[in-house]
Amino acid sequence: MTNTSQYKWVDYVVFGLSLFLVFCFIFESFIELPIWVAWIGRWHPLILHFPIVLLLICAFLGLTGRMIPKVLLSSAVVLTLVTTISGFFLGKEMGEKGDLLFWHQWLGGALGILAALWYGMQRTNLNGSMVFKVLQAVVVGLVFATGHYGGMVTHGEDFLALPVKKRAEKIPENPFIYKDVVGRILDDKCVSCHNPNKKKGELLMTSLEGLLAGGEVGNTLIPGHPEESELIRRIHLPLEDEEHMPPEGKRALDTDEIQILERWIALGASDTLRLEHLQPSEPLAEYIEQLIQPDPMERWTALPVVADSTLLGLSSDYVTIRRIAGGINALSINVYKSPIYDTKQLTDLGPIAKNIIQMDVSGLPLAQEEVNLIASCSNLEWLEIDQTPLTDVEVDTLKVLSRLRTLKIYSTAISDESIPVFERMGELQKLYLWHTEVSSEKLLDFQKRNPKLQIETGIDPEVQASFQTSDSIPKN
Amino acid sequence: MDEEKKASENPLKVNRRHFFSQLSVGIGSLALGSLLIPDLFKKGAQQLALEQPLGVAHFAPKAKRIIYLFQAGAPSQLETFDYKPILRKRMGEDLPESIRKGQRLTNMTANQDKFPLMPPKIGFQQHGESRTWVSDFFPHIAKIADEITVVRSMHTEAINHDPAITFFQTGSQISGRPSMGSWLSYGLGSENKNLPSFVVLTSRGKGNSQGLYSKLWSSGFLDSKHQGVLLRSGKDPVLYLNDPEGISRADKRHLLDHVSSLNKLHHVETGDDEIESRIAQYEMAYRMQMSVPDVMDISKEPQSIIDLYGEDCQVPGTYAANALQARRLAENGVRFIQLYHQGWDQHGNLHNEMAGQAKDVDQASAALVLDLKQRGMLDDTLVVWGGEFGRGNYAQGKFDPENYGRDHHPKAFSIWMAGGGIKPGLNYGKTDEFGYNVIENPVHINDFHATLMHAMGLDHEQLTYKYQGRRFRLTDVAGNVIKDLLA
Repeated sequence: MTNTSQYKWVDYVVFGLSLFLVFCFIFESFIELPIWVAWIGRWHPLILHFPIVLLLICAFLGLTGRMIPKVLLSSAVVLTLVTTISGFFLGKEMGEKGDLLFWHQWLGGALGILAALWYGMQRTNLNGSMVFKVLQAVVVGLVFATGHYGGMVTHGEDFLALPVKKRAEKIPENPFIYKDVVGRILDDKCVSCHNPNKKKGELLMTSLEGLLAGGEVGNTLIPGHPEESELIRRIHLPLEDEEHMPPEGKRALDTDEIQILERWIALGASDTLRLEHLQPSEPLAEYIEQLIQPDPMERWTALPVVADSTLLGLSSDYVTIRRIAGGINALSINVYKSPIYDTKQLTDLGPIAKNIIQMDVSGLPLAQEEVNLIASCSNLEWLEIDQTPLTDVEVDTLKVLSRLRTLKIYSTAISDESIPVFERMGELQKLYLWHTEVSSEKLLDFQKRNPKLQIETGIDPEVQASFQTSDSIPKN
Repeated sequence: MDEEKKASENPLKVNRRHFFSQLSVGIGSLALGSLLIPDLFKKGAQQLALEQPLGVAHFAPKAKRIIYLFQAGAPSQLETFDYKPILRKRMGEDLPESIRKGQRLTNMTANQDKFPLMPPKIGFQQHGESRTWVSDFFPHIAKIADEITVVRSMHTEAINHDPAITFFQTGSQISGRPSMGSWLSYGLGSENKNLPSFVVLTSRGKGNSQGLYSKLWSSGFLDSKHQGVLLRSGKDPVLYLNDPEGISRADKRHLLDHVSSLNKLHHVETGDDEIESRIAQYEMAYRMQMSVPDVMDISKEPQSIIDLYGEDCQVPGTYAANALQARRLAENGVRFIQLYHQGWDQHGNLHNEMAGQAKDVDQASAALVLDLKQRGMLDDTLVVWGGEFGRGNYAQGKFDPENYGRDHHPKAFSIWMAGGGIKPGLNYGKTDEFGYNVIENPVHINDFHATLMHAMGLDHEQLTYKYQGRRFRLTDVAGNVIKDLLA
């Protein structure tokens, strides 16, 4: 150790920096950084990689009983201290520190002091002793812990968690608008930069309180006034605008998401509002219902496999069988009027009944036999049996079609007795029912009990009347 | 020792053992790297789509068919759906160069000294909950304002009728490409084997007309079975479809079977696939002998429907009759029903001519949408209404607010769409206050095609046909699906 003296200035640097560090930590709340000092903090993410590597190499050499080159240890310790101090500067820029940053800062500070201690102790007779090895092991531990917390600050808390396939959690029935819908949009598009650990623009978007409190620009969210809310203004800006949010390079909100945010703010930005509280005419309700609906292609993945040859065998000039899309087993069936109608055209479809999702048999002389086949299509979602001779008796068979969403049954002889059948079809969304024996009172009653069901009862008589009388030539 | 080591490091002294051991490390690392490419040995989505059998949608479609109400000649957006009050305020002033920006004009107005701004003579009102601006020419369409979506930001590249309409129909200004209906027939197949999947109906108003040529519904380089079939008005919608007197249907069958066997021989000899198409077309014609008269016969339509479409719908060859026919064809599984109504080219006498044209189409167009809606067909039928370009905001020729005309204008025009996976009641896109340039959400013809194909369950980039050494698409090398229009 004869050559220590020529590095004497390193000793001073280490001593000075550690003292400065301790000072900073003690008087943190009093310190206000000049701009150019704060700027040094911006280098923290760059230089922090050096002490990690150098300290680990030193610890490795030390722990395996090898000689640690003096210059290596010196640069490791100096860089550790510089990094810690610059990190402290960077941290000062954050107004309020989250848990992650808090731990990162204090662990970092401890690491800086320990590294300096190591440097100071290497010339004592403790060098190489058990105490020294414990010190080195603790340094290794601190490097990992500090680095880990730092990583979570920049990349998000679950960055190191085992990657799981992202699958959006199902939105519950009757969701809270804020928690289950708006919150998800914000989580997806905003929160990665506006969370307690990374409060860009001083804005916290993880809670409604944070949104209402606003950021540097106060009026982030003004309940009832989307047009005055900074949040809405910014997401509407052109993509290339500096102030557009989310910033360039991040995924922007799509129009539906923007509409949802706007309507929710317009309705008062409440966190207790639920879907059921919305008026049926409220556009927000429609957007949310669309979100709740699962993708049909996914719904159909579990259908039994059906071969193209089977479809070809069952098709004819008057029976068209198609896959709804390539590579899936969901089928749509169209049967057209033929010169000689044969019940077999339909009843032969038994083997593929489970695959039939859409069926159009309108205008055909259907009877009980065919209806039995239709009833066996348990996955049927779309059924057209309009302009057929069907009556309540046959329609009663169809009550088992629990997945039906669209039913066209206009111009048939059904009456009020068929209404309970429709009522049992829990997923029914659209019902085309006019030119039948169903009484308008019963239908109105049915509509009242099922406000979400769209019942099409033909062209509004008023509109029809106006079409009869009005003339397209404007009066001059 | 050092000498030996050096010698063995000489790159020229590689023995087989060295070679293989190093090679194995190299191959091993490559193999490790390849594990990171998930679909390296599987077929990518693109490949799968290419290998999908034709005639099946790429994904679940929102629309199964399209009814295209083409207003040939280009109705003025300023007298239909794009209300620009500033034109009245600044009537007669010269169109500012800051707006025109040197836009090329047709030789009908290019030599004009002045381009005086001309307001519409017709009034405008807002209608429905969507507060859609509709001119008073269209009182019936105004009633369906909440069913339709008006796109005011269409723009094209052509400034004359023929290239513009060819662009709209085939995706190219130069004729020869397959028509939109042919592409859909090629991509999705027919729904009803007894009718063509692409049908064309034409009508003509009293306004100034431009020609319609069969190239607009040609299948181009696609198989001729995808060609649009023009249905004529009157007794014989399809010429030569009826059997001559004294020939029974059984005789006809016999004849067809024999002709077909001869054709098959010829096919074996020459290998020309057009022969197979021809055989298929004979068969289709045979079945159409039964199906077409049935579809075209509107005598069973109830009075309420006649009232809805207007008296005219009983007169074969009118737009109203064609609109009603379009619904019947749609019900019978025709995929693409193309209507053309000629007479929208108002270079002069615009107000009076447009009033006449509007009277032809207003009620029937609105009636079609309402009729489709009550039948639940608006859920899976896409209706489009519009012309090939827009019209200028300045007067053509002499400045006379009582009797004016407008020249062609490609940079902004309005169309509307309804049903078939298009959001209802939307006002999409904006033009500047002069109605001259698009300032928000522009929709190019290629985008329009891409969006229509998307609604029909087709990826416009995947549906291709290889011809003369390269793959062609309806959208060629452009087009973006306008997601905002889709429900």
